[in-house]
Amino acid sequence: MIRSENGYFGEFGGRYVPEILLPALTELETMFNELRDDPSFWQEYLTLTQEFSGRPTPLTPLRRLSKELGGAQIWLKREDLNHSGAHKVNNVLGQGLLVQRMGKKRVIAETGAGQHGLATAIMAARLGLDATIYMGADDIERQYSNVFWMRQLGAEVVGVETGARTLKEALDEALRDWAASVETTHYVLGTVCGPAPFPELVAYFQSVISQEMKQQAMAQIGRLPDEVVACVGGGSNAIGAFAAFLDDPEVALVGVEAGGISLKDGEHSIRMLPNTGETGIAQGYKTLFLQNEDGQLGDTHSIAAGLDYVGVSPILAHLSQTGRVTPDMALDTEVTEAFKLLMKTEGIIPALESSHALAGGFKRAKTMRPDQHIVINLSGRGDKDIFNIARAFPQPEWSDFLQRESERAKELFDATKEGN
Amino acid sequence: MFPKQNDKLQVMSHAVVGFPNLDENEKAIAGLVAAGVNLIELQVPFSDPVADGHTLVNACYEALKHGGSVRATLELAKKVSAAHPNTSFILMSYLNPLYRYGLEQLFRDAAAAGFKGMIIPDMPVEEFEPWMPLLDELGIAPILMVTPNTSDERVARIAKSARGMVYVVSRMGVTGKQTQWGEEFNQYVARIRQHTDLPLAIGFGVRAASDLQALTGTAEVAAFCSKYIEWQRDSGSDEAAKLMRQLLVDAQLA
Repeated sequence: MIRSENGYFGEFGGRYVPEILLPALTELETMFNELRDDPSFWQEYLTLTQEFSGRPTPLTPLRRLSKELGGAQIWLKREDLNHSGAHKVNNVLGQGLLVQRMGKKRVIAETGAGQHGLATAIMAARLGLDATIYMGADDIERQYSNVFWMRQLGAEVVGVETGARTLKEALDEALRDWAASVETTHYVLGTVCGPAPFPELVAYFQSVISQEMKQQAMAQIGRLPDEVVACVGGGSNAIGAFAAFLDDPEVALVGVEAGGISLKDGEHSIRMLPNTGETGIAQGYKTLFLQNEDGQLGDTHSIAAGLDYVGVSPILAHLSQTGRVTPDMALDTEVTEAFKLLMKTEGIIPALESSHALAGGFKRAKTMRPDQHIVINLSGRGDKDIFNIARAFPQPEWSDFLQRESERAKELFDATKEGN
Repeated sequence: MFPKQNDKLQVMSHAVVGFPNLDENEKAIAGLVAAGVNLIELQVPFSDPVADGHTLVNACYEALKHGGSVRATLELAKKVSAAHPNTSFILMSYLNPLYRYGLEQLFRDAAAAGFKGMIIPDMPVEEFEPWMPLLDELGIAPILMVTPNTSDERVARIAKSARGMVYVVSRMGVTGKQTQWGEEFNQYVARIRQHTDLPLAIGFGVRAASDLQALTGTAEVAAFCSKYIEWQRDSGSDEAAKLMRQLLVDAQLA
């Protein structure tokens, strides 16, 4: 189990927030500390994830692909099979239990790829809460299908127009909302970042992934895997996939960050490899941030909106420093190749975020022996990426279809307007 | 220097270093001083100013494009504190640019540049406490914030490390929106007074002469910042200084 020392993991973490947010964070921390060691609370959480999200998610062997690559046996932890299509819902359902205990009637969230926003909108609909989701204006363009569904579910989606208009700005804006609304609103932070107790709290709920993985590995492989690989944006699916293995030194833990287009400033989102992120304090916590010498947070790029983030979990920053977690990265081009390979060989459509783990995992599997086992955390499914994938693999019939669909939508809209 | 308890209300105003550009900062500050402002915050622009509303967020982005930085702020402070010896300049910054510069060096350099105080919204009192001996030695005052939801226990802890004045955030939220003054607010101010003899600076939501009049007799300082930056943005620094002069006249503080 991941535990901080007064909110710190080694030198990282902490709670660097405007004074106004402190009471809500200490209230949340007190509640979390009371619940975390209560087995009946964990059981309540597991029951909810089972009833609502179909947990446990399977551990799927990739027999054809493993043979084709000729190395280790590759297994996928199928977080893509969660309700809402990604691991994000684990954390959101857990925080939903806390919101119910606090009696707050409104939730806010930041989102990058929209998966966390979607999960939050789903939870809010289910519990009858108001929801406001902050999302960078550029990310809205990249992940419009999730925006569409969040709005259908009844959430308000606010496009954030400041700065680079991605996840970092969405988080800033959610903090601003919370500063005004903290007495009635819970901030459902979506990843293992931000001020204490969020990193620890989100890690607690996401650790369900590796707890299942461990049991499934014992049942299906007969032993622990040699490696577990996950993609790292903020780091919630990675922490979830690593948590139960931290005390099993024979299991290597590999976090794959977004290499983007190149290692040039502004063209990637790598924080943990040498000469990338540096220690800083922003967005409420201390971690490795991409930043310039004046301490201004840098611009990032990834083909996957969910990995396009300037900081990284303080837990992962610490574990990469101690050497327990090995950081790695995958370029956009490697990611689309891995995406295609999984889809064509195994019939599974991965999210572009998760395809970073695939790219890193496949590369490593090739160098391993066939009697070794590697588990890749497939954090989400790729339906949401239909527009991005269509762009990555251009086909004329797709753009023709979009044209026709756009005309149909416009006609329909004009007809409703005349009707009024 | 800072006012004393029960001194007549003073206006504190603002410059975002690099907004609209570094040369203009000096001119704008001279205009503020001429208008009668004796307390001026110099804000280091930051990429992620989470306690600020859109006026200051956008000013930060502009300022970063025009050379705003910690170093530029220290250089500007050196110039303006020499040019305006009766004005107290206060360093306002989010923590990361200062952390990156190196906190101890920053405190020393800020004091040497003539800064009298510092406002760092995301540096909680716990983080200030270990630095207090050095800050007292340097004579640079941490101006700490209290908010309506800060518990009495915590106000007491903050008051212990606060120097110069206590920054009383008038309401929940971020900078740049109106505040309602009234009985609830007065009780809040009275609650803070129980913990400190320092003068109180009221910030967030001070946007018109009527706000200043409402605060006269209640507090010693009113932070008139976002609205001033809006004047500067919309009409230029000269016009903004005139509007500031008029504001002080209208509020009977000239």
